[in-house]
Amino acid sequence: MKPFEHFAPDSVGEVLDLLQSIPKAKLIAGGTDLLLQMKQGSAQPDTVISLKNVEELRGFATRKARFRLGAGMTLRGITRSPELKKHFPGLVYAASVVASEQIRSLATVGGNICNASPSADLIPPLLALDAVAHIVSRDGQRDIPLADFFKGPGKTILKSGEILLSLFLPQPSGNMFYSKHAPRQFMDLAVVGVAVRLQKNQGMVREARVALGAVGPTPLRAKKTEALLTGKTLTPKLMLEAGEMAADECSPIDDIRGSAWYRKRMIKIHVRRNLEALL
Amino acid sequence: MKEFSAVGKRIPKTDAPDKVTGRATYGQDFKLPGMLHGAIRYSDHAHARILNIDTSKAEALEGVKCVVTADDVPETRFGFYKDNMPLKKDVVRSHRDEIAGVVAVNEMIARQAVKLIKIEYEILPAVFNVADAMAENAPLIQPNRDSNHLITNTYNHGDVEQGEAESDVVVEVTCKLPYVNHASMETCVIVAKFDHSQNLTLWSTTQIPFLLQKDLGAALGMSPKNIRILQPTIGGAFGRELDIYPYHPIAAIMAKKAQVPVRLCFSREEEFRAGPQRQPVEVTIRAGAKNNGDLTFRDVSMTLDVGAYVSWGSTTPMVMMETTASFYRVPHVRFKADCVYTNNLITGAMRGYGNPQSSFYVESAMDMLAEKLGMDPIQFRIQNANQPNTITEQGLKITSCGLEDCLKALAERAETKLEPAAQPHLKRGRGVGGTLNVGGGARIYRSDGCGATVKVDDFGHVSLITGSTEIGQGSETVLAQMVAEILSVPVDDVRVINSDTDVKMWDVGVHASRTTFIAGNAACLAAKEALGQIFETASELLGASPDSLKAENGQIIAPDGKSVSLSKVVRSRHFRSGGQMVFGQAFYDPPTELVDKDSYHGNISPAYGFGMQMADVEVDTETGQVRVLKLICAKDIGRAINPMAVEGQIEGGAQMGLGYALSEEVVIKEGKVMNPNFVDYRLFTSADMPEIENIMIESNDPEGPFGAKGIGEMGSSCVAAAVTNAIYDAVGVRLTQPPMTPERVLAALDTKAAG
Ligand SMILES: Cc1cc2nc3c(=O)[nH]c(=O)nc-3n(C[C@H](O)[C@H](O)[C@H](O)COP(=O)(O)OP(=O)(O)OC[C@H]3O[C@@H](n4cnc5c(N)ncnc54)[C@H](O)[C@@H]3O)c2cc1C
Repeated sequence: MKPFEHFAPDSVGEVLDLLQSIPKAKLIAGGTDLLLQMKQGSAQPDTVISLKNVEELRGFATRKARFRLGAGMTLRGITRSPELKKHFPGLVYAASVVASEQIRSLATVGGNICNASPSADLIPPLLALDAVAHIVSRDGQRDIPLADFFKGPGKTILKSGEILLSLFLPQPSGNMFYSKHAPRQFMDLAVVGVAVRLQKNQGMVREARVALGAVGPTPLRAKKTEALLTGKTLTPKLMLEAGEMAADECSPIDDIRGSAWYRKRMIKIHVRRNLEALL
Repeated sequence: MKEFSAVGKRIPKTDAPDKVTGRATYGQDFKLPGMLHGAIRYSDHAHARILNIDTSKAEALEGVKCVVTADDVPETRFGFYKDNMPLKKDVVRSHRDEIAGVVAVNEMIARQAVKLIKIEYEILPAVFNVADAMAENAPLIQPNRDSNHLITNTYNHGDVEQGEAESDVVVEVTCKLPYVNHASMETCVIVAKFDHSQNLTLWSTTQIPFLLQKDLGAALGMSPKNIRILQPTIGGAFGRELDIYPYHPIAAIMAKKAQVPVRLCFSREEEFRAGPQRQPVEVTIRAGAKNNGDLTFRDVSMTLDVGAYVSWGSTTPMVMMETTASFYRVPHVRFKADCVYTNNLITGAMRGYGNPQSSFYVESAMDMLAEKLGMDPIQFRIQNANQPNTITEQGLKITSCGLEDCLKALAERAETKLEPAAQPHLKRGRGVGGTLNVGGGARIYRSDGCGATVKVDDFGHVSLITGSTEIGQGSETVLAQMVAEILSVPVDDVRVINSDTDVKMWDVGVHASRTTFIAGNAACLAAKEALGQIFETASELLGASPDSLKAENGQIIAPDGKSVSLSKVVRSRHFRSGGQMVFGQAFYDPPTELVDKDSYHGNISPAYGFGMQMADVEVDTETGQVRVLKLICAKDIGRAINPMAVEGQIEGGAQMGLGYALSEEVVIKEGKVMNPNFVDYRLFTSADMPEIENIMIESNDPEGPFGAKGIGEMGSSCVAAAVTNAIYDAVGVRLTQPPMTPERVLAALDTKAAG
């Protein structure tokens, strides 16, 4: 690893000032993605700005019928929050299947999102929950639906000088389930990740969200599948069809973690299984 | 039977507290004043001619002390086919080939500098599998040979054609066994230092200090007598350190040129790319049996890709032929193994040494036969089990043998039927697999011995100086227990010294499940000699004949009840005119023979260990995911010197075996490792481990120390076989290619469904 300068400011203001004066600086939250990239040489920043001491990045709170999730919240923090467990059990589950307790106590939700890995476990559930990214910079702030946040593997819409401050989550309607398919129980990256949220009225699906991880350059919403489900009553046949449609909608590649055919098949199985769980 | 005071007791490893509290000095912790750091530059191609090496940029980097290339060393060759050299000069033959090294003030700068070395190549055609390597006009990998074919090992007993003619059922299966990595917690590390008189001292995590002296001498063009090897605490080796590898001489070359001590430490990625791997094998077995359940024949042929340079992987056929010829009673056996050079990875020794491979194909065939015969797989094995005090066709003298007891123990457990799975897409199954392992060394060198000295000091403290090496297997504890038993002192009073070639007597190395057995016998002999001296002096003090005395709790006791403390006896012997110290010495070389070099017949081990495992699995038929619910391990261990240590070996072995069965594989593409990290190379973690039940069968070996046999390797050898048989039982598909990943299982289920 190359030597680098390290700053640890206490406030968002200072972070933004530093970013303005050193535009090439890299932000580090838990460092569980970045440090690895620095060790392997794929990231070689001269300056690293730690977000650890920034109070404003932490916490989970209710704000006017929606929830605010600080980007600096650790995954362990998520799994330990009674509030989150009450309102977003599916998200808490997704955080609990990341890596190990040791990693989870460093890793943050903001890091998971901004690292923009196609297999990141928190992204499909957050997509299914219609999360909005709250972004700030010295020039102001903007709110972007998380579905529009990703541009490719490791690439986001964040511009130089911008940081992800928090996520806004609307009041959840209906239940959301996430399932992660990986050979090992823990310490494994998702071969596929599937989040499904359904809002139902007297058995009829009023709103559906199907979000898929590790089957394309970014985590994605399976919109055709969502449309297929909307306005219908769940039947075994419909659930099977939804699985098949989601598999058609994604475009996985063959890599060391799984072949394309296998990933498609797992999407089919897990979409169906999640729907069954939501019956 | 005599009650033991130290042997057979459950004691935590004596070195465990320091290891778990971070006090032990591992190789990677080791520092010397003024020590610099090295890094190696590897090849960028699988096969290429080196046209030019430009080191100027690396040399110019601030913090770099020097750069070494082949020009810094006499042209030497090492390895048992003399086909490897420390640094490559003209041609690179694999991606792991070492071309140059940098010494710098820290590892980071050294690693940065190796990237600055500019190498011009002429790319040569390369071969990445056995078939291509054996094709006519294939590029020749080693220039001094006529072809890439290295060696054919053949073995025969009986007449396979006759065996097949006598068979009522015949099965055939082709299996493909993968590369796997030792994945020791500690990666390869070495510190080299020359003194002013050009004596070399190495701090090395080697498993073969005495052979390394010799091999290094050859690699460096210097006399082994000027090489001293010290072994710091070793963080796992599992066979990885059983041979000389280029990084050993390179460290010395660096230290020589830099004129200061140099440390070379592999990154995890290097460990995967440049370290040896378990030997991959492609093998076809045909086997037969009669309707009455008697085995008739086995016919096995295999190919082994040994990479661009030969290491121990190429000798694993010797072990595989042992399983093929002698595990269960088979009247007719034919075995053929072809080892072939390619531009792939080096294959070395690894825990089990051929057994995980041979157990997989032999036990797959056993289950296939049992199914065709309509027999219960365990009863079928009992009928054909090896028996005590028999000599196999191959010449293995099987003395103690608990195989049938292992099988019967499993049969008893199998009476409890598996609970059906909770959901229809989950299917459960049960399978067994076994192994025949050498139980106390294997004579592959002219000596399979180990030396030991036991000394007792004036305070009653006992030192055992043993030739053997501690690599985490717990040898220090069990050796101390044996010496403590003989001298009747507390185990805590015995310290084991085992880390300096200038101090300890010769030992062939730590391999072949031999340390408890061979080093144990040596330690016992030395302790008995020391005890004789103690009794001699005590008899004067107590006025009783030496053979009437007994030792108990640090006291020497006469028949009349009078006693004297051990330390007092030692002082009395020491502090007198013409005084003597108490020390016993022994060299134990087991009563075995080298196999005949053509027929491979011969008794290579003084004892044979047997193990059976039974796996209960649950297969998700929609995802292919296999979960092992329970693993029952029944092992013939002779005697447990320390039951807790035996459990540690078996459970640790199970972890390795489960990885081999289900998740571990070093994936290579055109000779390059694609998953050199612990994200994509999947070891079983504690969360994945099933419940394990240990059944220790104590067959009390006549030659083993206190009846013990080796147990170090057996735990990992038969897991994959048990798991594949269990998967077949669950879903009716036979997986022939570990690791049996979800994707492979699902593909097999699809093939079956397609008819
Ligand atoms: C052993 C291991 C296992 C893992 N297993 C999993 C797993 O199972 N599932 C999974 O999803 N991930 C896994 N990961 C990846 C990683 O732990 C997660 O992605 C984690 O959430 C990253 O968070 P972090 O705080 O450590 O990010 P960092 O490494 O600190 O940052 C990651 C990236 O995000 C940027 N960044 C961080 N915070 C902000 C912000 N507020 N604004 C703008 N940019 C920001 C950084 O600049 C950097 O580019 C694993 C990692 C390891 C080492």
